[in-house]
Amino acid sequence: MDAFFIGTGVALCLLMLLTLHRAIHGPTAIDRIMGVNVVGTKTTILLVIIGTIYHRVDMFVDIALAYALLNFIVTIAASRYFQYHKNLNPKGYGYRFRAEDD
Amino acid sequence: MDVVVIILTVSALVFFFATTVGLLRFPDFYSRMHAAGKGDTLSSLLILMALVLYNFHEFNLANLLVALKILLIVVFIFMASPTATHAITDAGYESGVKPWSKNPEEES
Amino acid sequence: MIWQLDLSVLTLIVVCAFATIMVKDLLSAAIIFGAYSFLMCLLWTEMGAVDVAFTEASVGAGVSTVLFIAAVHQTTRIVKPRKSGRMLSKVIGLAAALLTGLVLIIAEADFPEFASPFSPASLHLSPYYITQTLHDTNVPNIVTSVLADYRGFDTMFETAVIFTAGLAVIAILRRYKRDDRCDLPEPGVVSGGYPDTIIRFIARQLVPFIQLFALYVVAHGHHSPGGGFQGGVILGASFILLAISYDTGMIIGLMSERLNILLGNIGVLIYAGIGFLCLILGANFLDYSMLSKVLPATDKIMARSHGMLGIEIGVAIAVMAIVISIYINIISHGKYDKG
Repeated sequence: MDAFFIGTGVALCLLMLLTLHRAIHGPTAIDRIMGVNVVGTKTTILLVIIGTIYHRVDMFVDIALAYALLNFIVTIAASRYFQYHKNLNPKGYGYRFRAEDD
Repeated sequence: MDVVVIILTVSALVFFFATTVGLLRFPDFYSRMHAAGKGDTLSSLLILMALVLYNFHEFNLANLLVALKILLIVVFIFMASPTATHAITDAGYESGVKPWSKNPEEES
Repeated sequence: MIWQLDLSVLTLIVVCAFATIMVKDLLSAAIIFGAYSFLMCLLWTEMGAVDVAFTEASVGAGVSTVLFIAAVHQTTRIVKPRKSGRMLSKVIGLAAALLTGLVLIIAEADFPEFASPFSPASLHLSPYYITQTLHDTNVPNIVTSVLADYRGFDTMFETAVIFTAGLAVIAILRRYKRDDRCDLPEPGVVSGGYPDTIIRFIARQLVPFIQLFALYVVAHGHHSPGGGFQGGVILGASFILLAISYDTGMIIGLMSERLNILLGNIGVLIYAGIGFLCLILGANFLDYSMLSKVLPATDKIMARSHGMLGIEIGVAIAVMAIVISIYINIISHGKYDKG
């Protein structure tokens, strides 16, 4: 059963890598906020899985609860920013690897 | 009991995989938000339920407390994750992200 | 130490770190830095260091990211490029980083093996803490007992450092209306925030439970990961959640500037006060066993446990007040009126 949970953890990490691709290459900043929200939720679950692998879940559940909380607060803060400043891309600057038009 | 845990975890992984593929491949911001918000919440619920069931190998009071705490995380994610999705989508709409249409669009 | 998970999380951290540097948009860099902090906490949990992971989660992934976003809110999102001398500075920077890394790797060859039981820390110090903590202080959480009792001076000065950070932010940013001589342009805010019913409702429902959880983290720090610092940060974060979903003016009405500074003072004062109480009662500074003369019906061992709880409460109050004060100062540009 332990090996099964370790496999689940590694699979979750791989999926997190794909999500990070969206968080980095997202054409607007809002895509990145969404990517970080998904990464945060996956991290919460990964914490409880690590607790199960170590057979001491009671320590790790408190951290997972605090994590879900802070993920929520950061996402709300980042999206409220956009309700004040309504420009998605500051003029001319995007991701460095792509050819951008100034 | 182990079989139920394995079934729930595998289904949660399937939904996570669907969420990630949707996040990468959908053409528009709003459809990506659909995939991220809904799929994410459902997968979290499934896998945390699986871990609650796995914890009941021995039924004593400490395990009951841990199971209640994990259920608290489930309730919190159920309340907070759709709100976060709503906040991001609202910010996107107010900032003027345009929905995708079938006409050929230029590289943004 | 599960090496499969270790390797995958480390890969993700390296990818995040590269992404934070290369993205030119400052807001996106701040958000990806939040993701980096999330993953760092995961790495520390996987090594078994849960208290450190808790602190990193609450401070790094939570409050620090929100403060970065608040700072970008006040300034611009783009970085001005420098056109001259870029190649030389890049080469010098790269050489310095490589040299430091090389020195560190050479020095690392002399270290004892990772987690070996024969290193000096594990041979002399750790067995004492592991065997004597329950006997001396009746507190099962060894990290809390080391932080708050065996090494209590360090924690007191850390609390003083947090208080100083809050004072520094006030000294730099605070502007009063009557001597408003600086001519900074206001940040380019296109429109004010509008009330959002769903976020307000959920925030209003969740904040009491978040504060209850924070108080649980402070009080239960003896038996589970947590303690004063983490609980204080989560308390501050709950107020920041209210400030984000409503207007900042509401938070200023609840926790005005005088109340914040007063609470920060009281927190540090509780910590030093308990130390002085022990001094007055005839023992060393911060030696809690003498508190058994003041507290009714405790012997010397339980007095140490109660002394630790007292200073954890002091730390939590100080940290909460300073976190709220720093956030209000940054978000209202020093003028305490809007946000």
